[in-house]
Amino acid sequence: MGRNDYDDDDYYDEEEEEQREMTAEERAQMKSGLKATRDVLGTVPGLTDAEIEESLYYYYFDVEKTINYLLNKYAKSMPKKPKPAAAPAPKAKASTYSSGYFAGFFADTPWGGVPEDRLSKMIPPTVLPGSTGLLGGSSKLAELARKRKEAAAAKAAAAEAAAATEPQAQKASVSLLSKLSQKKSPKSEEPRMLKSVSPPATSPPTASPACPASPALPVTTPPRTAGPVQPVAIPVVPVAIPSAPGKEPRTKEDLDQPTLDTKPKSAALSPPQSPMELELPFSTPPAPNSFFASTFFGGRIALEPPNDVADGFKLFAAAAEKTKGFKGPSPDDTVQQAQSGSKGLNKGAPAAAKSPDADVKKIEKDVDTMRIDTAPAKDQKDKIDVLKAWKESTEKQVVNFVVVGHVDAGKSTLMGRLLYDTGAVAERTLQKFRKESEQIGKGSFALAWVMDSTDEERERGVTIDIATSHFSTPKTHFTILDAPGHADFIPNMIAGASQADFAVLVIDSSPNAFEAGFHRQGQTKEHTLLLRSLGVKKLVVAVNKLDVTNWSQDRYLEILQQVEQFTLNAGYRRENITFVPLAGLSGINVIHPLGPDAAALTAWYSGPTLLEALETATSTGEADRAVDKPLRLILTDVFRGSIQNPVSVSGRIDSGHLQAGDEILCIPSKQLATIKSLSINETPAQWAVAGHNVVLNLANIDPIHLRVGDVVCDKNWPLEPKERLTMKLLAFETLLPMSVDVHKGRLHAPGEVKVLLETVEKGTGVVSKIRPRVVKAGELARVGVMVQVEHGVPIETGDKVVLRSRGVTVAAGVVE
Amino acid sequence: MHFIKKNITKDGDGYVTLRPEIPEDMWHSYNIIRPLDKLRTDALRRVTIGDEATGSTSSKRVHTILTLIIEKIDFDPSSSQLHLSGRTCEENAYVTLGQYHTLDLELHRNFTLYKSSWDSVALEELRKACTPGEGAEIAAITLHEGLATICAVGEHITVLKQRIEMAIPKKRGANTEAHDKGMQKFYAAITAAFLRLFDIEKLKVVLFGSPGYLAQRLREYIFMNATKMGDKTMLKAKGKFICEHTSSGHKFALNEMLASPTVKARLQDTRFAKETAAVERFMEMITTDELRAWYGKGPVERAVEKGAVATLLVNDSIYRSNDPAERKKWVEAKEEVEKYGGEVLVLSSIHESGVRLAQIGGIAAMLSFPLDDLEGEGDADEEVWE
Repeated sequence: MGRNDYDDDDYYDEEEEEQREMTAEERAQMKSGLKATRDVLGTVPGLTDAEIEESLYYYYFDVEKTINYLLNKYAKSMPKKPKPAAAPAPKAKASTYSSGYFAGFFADTPWGGVPEDRLSKMIPPTVLPGSTGLLGGSSKLAELARKRKEAAAAKAAAAEAAAATEPQAQKASVSLLSKLSQKKSPKSEEPRMLKSVSPPATSPPTASPACPASPALPVTTPPRTAGPVQPVAIPVVPVAIPSAPGKEPRTKEDLDQPTLDTKPKSAALSPPQSPMELELPFSTPPAPNSFFASTFFGGRIALEPPNDVADGFKLFAAAAEKTKGFKGPSPDDTVQQAQSGSKGLNKGAPAAAKSPDADVKKIEKDVDTMRIDTAPAKDQKDKIDVLKAWKESTEKQVVNFVVVGHVDAGKSTLMGRLLYDTGAVAERTLQKFRKESEQIGKGSFALAWVMDSTDEERERGVTIDIATSHFSTPKTHFTILDAPGHADFIPNMIAGASQADFAVLVIDSSPNAFEAGFHRQGQTKEHTLLLRSLGVKKLVVAVNKLDVTNWSQDRYLEILQQVEQFTLNAGYRRENITFVPLAGLSGINVIHPLGPDAAALTAWYSGPTLLEALETATSTGEADRAVDKPLRLILTDVFRGSIQNPVSVSGRIDSGHLQAGDEILCIPSKQLATIKSLSINETPAQWAVAGHNVVLNLANIDPIHLRVGDVVCDKNWPLEPKERLTMKLLAFETLLPMSVDVHKGRLHAPGEVKVLLETVEKGTGVVSKIRPRVVKAGELARVGVMVQVEHGVPIETGDKVVLRSRGVTVAAGVVE
Repeated sequence: MHFIKKNITKDGDGYVTLRPEIPEDMWHSYNIIRPLDKLRTDALRRVTIGDEATGSTSSKRVHTILTLIIEKIDFDPSSSQLHLSGRTCEENAYVTLGQYHTLDLELHRNFTLYKSSWDSVALEELRKACTPGEGAEIAAITLHEGLATICAVGEHITVLKQRIEMAIPKKRGANTEAHDKGMQKFYAAITAAFLRLFDIEKLKVVLFGSPGYLAQRLREYIFMNATKMGDKTMLKAKGKFICEHTSSGHKFALNEMLASPTVKARLQDTRFAKETAAVERFMEMITTDELRAWYGKGPVERAVEKGAVATLLVNDSIYRSNDPAERKKWVEAKEEVEKYGGEVLVLSSIHESGVRLAQIGGIAAMLSFPLDDLEGEGDADEEVWE
C-alpha cells in the first residue's frame, strides 16, 4: 500500500495494518470513490488511479477530502481545476476530527509517572450547542457512524455500538500514545497522519451515538487559518489524559502493546453524554509542566501559547456556525497562500512556528521545492504583476537597518539584547552562549555571540563580518545588519550600510571610550560620514553603557551635544536623528519601558526606548524605494543553499522587483540564470521588491560566474560594466593620483585615481580649479578613476562609491 | 651580472661585455640597453638554403654571432625575459647587412654592448647591476578574505607570482560551517602556491600582510601544515616569517607592508626599502607642506631650473624613454641636482614604490624651500580623460 514511506513514529500501527486486507465493503467504497474522484478531477497529468485509491484509503473513502488533498498536491500542474468545494461529493457529509488535535492532547504529558495533579477525572464533555461529533474522534469512526446511521436505526444500535467501538478506540489511543514524543502533530488532511488510527477492516460496522446530527462540520478548519488562535493544535487538555489510577506509571512496553484492555477509554474518544458537566473540564486550570516534561521539552513548552482550553472549545462552537464546509478555498490553500504572501517571519512568535501546521506546511513546501526543481522555469503566463501585488500587499513593512559605531561600543551586544528581548533568540541559545563564553573568560560577550558566530569573532571578541538577523514587531519586520566596528573591517561595514534603510549609531558613553571613538581616527566619525555618503539619511543614536556613569545626565547631554554638532555638519537633518540613552548589556531602555532598576534614568529621561525609536525611524522606510526601476541587486554572498538549491545568492534589491521564474542577468559575467525560488528574511516568497533582503535560489548557472559584489539585473535592462569612472566626490583625505580600493556594497575592487579633473566650490558648485595637482581633505572634486579589473566593474551612473587607501577612507562620491 | 670587460673612452664612447647570471640581471640589461645601441651576442638563426638546380629549399638552424642595431626592447617581468630585435650591422656567412633578427638574451651567455655615449645614468645602472647583491628574495603575500596576492620582491624588481581569488561563503546566522570550510580551503590554496613558488631556504624574509587576523591565521596554518608533513626546512625558517598589517590583499598593499617599521628594520639596506621610504616621505610632505612637494614633469623641471630640489625621485621608466632627447633631458636634470648637492633616487618602476611614483607622472621632487609658481601651461595635457 506504500504506506510505510512516511515516518517511523507510526511504526507500531503499520505492522498491524499490513496484515489486513480490504473488506468487500471497502472495495466497493473504493470503486465508487475512485469514480467520483476521477469525475471531478478529470485527467490530471501524473495522477494515477493507484494514487487516488491510496488517498481514498487514507481518507476512509471520503471523496471530498481526497479531492482536496490531490488538488493541493497537483495544484501547480493543474491550476485551473475547480476548487474542491465545487466537487459533487456523493458521500460528502462526514464529520471528521483531527487526529492532530488528538495527539496534541498529549503534547506535554510525561511518559511515565504522571503527576498527581495532572491526573484528572474522566469527565465526558458534552455536545455544545450546534456542535456535534465525537470529541476528537477519528474521522473513520465518524464515517462508520454515519454510514451506520444511514443503514439502520441509530438509536437501536447505540448501546451495541458503544461496546463495539471500544477495541477500536483502544487501538487508536495506543497509536496516539506512541506519538507522545512527537510534539508537532500534523493535521488531518495529511494522509500520513491518519495512519495512526486503524483502518476499519476488522472492526464490525458500528454506529456511534456520538454523531447523530450535523455531520458536515469541518471541525479542524479554524485552528489552521493561522491568526492568533492556535491553541487547538497543541492544547494541554486535562480531560484528554486518561486517568488510570491503578495502572500507572505506564511503561513504554505498555504503550507498545496493542491491547490495553484494562485501560479506560480516553475521554476524547468517549461519546459525550452529559451536558450538565459542560463547564467542569474548562474550569480546571492546565497543570504546570512537570519537571520531567521540562527536561524533555525544555524551552519549547514554555514557548507554546497559553493552553487555553476554553478557547479550543470556542472553536468548536465557531465551527458549528461555519456550515459552508468546503465551499471556500481549502484551509491548506488559505494557509499556504497566507504564508507565501507573508514577508514576515515566525520568529517574533515562535509558538506559531512550532504548531503542527508549520510542520505539515514544511513538508508541503519541501514537496513544492522538489517539484520546481524538475521544472525550474515557470510559464510566462504564471507570472504575477509584482508591482500590483506589492501595492496591494497588506503585509508588514520590511525594514533593514545597519548598526555602526566605534569598536567595542557594544553594537553586537545591544543587538543580541534586542533579539533576545523581542523573542527572536531563545533563552536556551543564550544560556548556551553564556556558558560557553564564560568558559573562555568572556562572559560579557554572551549577547554579542548571537551576532558574532564565527570562532574567530568569538575568540577575539570582535565582529569581523556583517551579521544579519531578523526580528519583528507588530508593525514591522526588521532586518539587523550588525557591522564590525574595527577599522580593518570597514569594507564590511560599507557592505552593510549599503543594504540599510537607516542606521543605529552606537556610542560608548563610558569615560574616555566616547572620546576614543570620536577623535579623528575613531570609527564613530568615519562611520557617520560613510553612512551619509552612502545615502543613509536617518540615524538613531544609541548612547550605550550609560549605566557605567550611573545614568549621568550631564554625560548624556555632553555626548548628545557633540554628536549632534558633528552629524549636522556631516549633512544630517536634525529631525532625522533620535538619541536614546540605554544600557545594552543589562537591557535597560532597549525594548522594555523603564523599570525600577533604572530609576536614575527615569529621573530625567522620558523619551522613547530603542525599539520605539526604531519604529519611528521606519516611518518613511519604504517610501523612497525605486520599486519600478530596472532590477539591480548586489550580491552579498554566494553559497550552497541546500541539496536542492546548489546555487544560492543573497543580497538586497536596490531597485526594481523580481519573482520566482524570472530570468536574470549576472554582471560582469553576463550569464543568465533563472530564479528557481526565493525567500525574504528566510521566509519563502513568490516575489520581492526593492528594499527586501532576499535569498535567490538559482538554476541554469554555474557558481563560478557569480562573485560577491556582482550585480544581478534585469536582462532587458542590463548594466554595462565600467572600467573608467568619472566621479564627483568629497575628499576625506588628501587625494592625489593614486591606487585606491573601490568599494560599492560588497564590491571591493582595486583601482587608481588617474586624473584630478577639477575642484568644485562647496555650495555654489562653481569650478574653482581645473586639473588641480592635489585635492585636499574636505574639498569637493571631480576625478577620473580607473578600475583595475579586466572586464570592468558593475558600477553605473548614480552609484555611490567609496574610495579607500591604506585602510583610510580617502573619498566618497557619486559616479557620473 | 658578471662583469667581463669594459672599454669606454672619456667622452663616453665604448663597449662593455657582460654575462647575466640571475633573472634580475635581465631587468638591468633592460635599463641599460637603449635603441640604437649595438649589441653583439650568440644567436640562433634559421637559414634557408636554396638549391638553384632544382628550386627546392631547405632550412636549418645555425649558431652564429650577430651584431645588431637595436630597434625594439621588450621585457617580460613574469618570466624575466628580455626580447630584443634589430637589424644586423655586420655581415657573416648566414646574414647579410640590414637583415632583421629577434633574440632573447640568455642567462650565462656573454653579450657585448656598444654605445656611442655612456651617460651617467647608464653608468650608474651598470654599477648597480654589477655590484654583487645577495640575490636574496623576499616572498610577500598580501591577503584579504577571498583574495591573496603572492609576490617575489627582489632587490630591483617585484614580480607578481600569483593571484588567488576564491569565493568564500559569508557567515549566515549561526551557520558558519561553509565560511570556515571556505577559509581553510583558501589558506590551503595559498600554502600550496607558496610552497610551489618559493624555495624557503633562499628567502630572506617572508612577509604576510592582511587586515585583521588573516595573516596570523595563515602563518599558523602554514606551520600547522609543516608540522603535519614534517617539513623541517619550513619549521627551521620560522624566524623568517613576519606578519604585518595591510588594508587589503591587493598588490599595492605591498607598499604598506614594506613601509612598516618592523620590515624597514629588517631590510634596512635594501634598495626597495629606501625607495619606499622616499615615496612615503613625499606623500607625507604633499599633505603637510604642499608647496615643497611637487610632481609631474613640468613642475619638477622648473624646480630643477630654480635649484630648489633637495630630493629628486625619478622612475627608471623615464630613462627608458624611446625618445633620446627626453632621456637626455632627464639625465641632465639628474646631473644638475647632484651638482648642487641634491639627492637623486632612480626608482625601479617595477617595485611598488615605483608604481606609486608612476601614478603621479613618474617623477617627483621634494624642495628645500617652498615654491608656488611651478605650474605651467600644458602640464595638464599629459593625461587625457574624457
